[in-house]
Amino acid sequence: MLVLTRKVHQSIMIGDSIEVVVLEVRGEQVRIGIRAPKTVPVHRKEIFEQIQSENEEAAKTQPEDVPDSRSA
Amino acid sequence: MIVKTTRFGEINLEEEDRITLADGMLGFPDFREYVLIQHREGSPFRWLQSLNEPSLAFLVVPPAQILNDYSPTIAEEEAAAIGVGADSPLLTFVVVTIPKGNPHGMTVNLAGPIIINPENRFGRQIVVENTCYGTKHSVLEGLQTFRQVAA
Repeated sequence: MLVLTRKVHQSIMIGDSIEVVVLEVRGEQVRIGIRAPKTVPVHRKEIFEQIQSENEEAAKTQPEDVPDSRSA
Repeated sequence: MIVKTTRFGEINLEEEDRITLADGMLGFPDFREYVLIQHREGSPFRWLQSLNEPSLAFLVVPPAQILNDYSPTIAEEEAAAIGVGADSPLLTFVVVTIPKGNPHGMTVNLAGPIIINPENRFGRQIVVENTCYGTKHSVLEGLQTFRQVAA
């Protein structure tokens, strides 16, 4: 992993179209701004991983466990 | 076309039933071609069945069937990726998880719905921008409502 030290309001470029700016540092929290083309979705990693692992659980669902409205 | 499935055996479907998820489901990027199969006649549930992997299928449901007011905020670029504007009509499904042998433990993933453009049948699992929607929303209450309506 590339590690860079940046100060507030400084940024890094990823390729020539994605800019990551350090907006504010307050204690343990860092506010980051991301400027990217509309074709590049940007998400927090943790929500991405949550959905991935939920998909893995969901893929185990079996037809016999699906409630049947007619028999309810 | 004949589709081989682990859960339902071989099923015969029309080519126009095909749905293409250009990036696959999150965590399953290698599987992009799916069909939607009705669970049972009259059931609100559908199966999003992979055309390439017989054992891969996701139970999905239109969110309106289980929630009164699901209104995810969809980033413009997510909608643009399947060829629709932010306000165009979309088919929306949420993915359902049922723990084995425990229908009452059913949850739906409100953070990662699937949106489908009905015109070209291109779809995408998106990450909603609303932080109020989680990946494990219990639907027991909603399900009871559904049963009462159906009864």
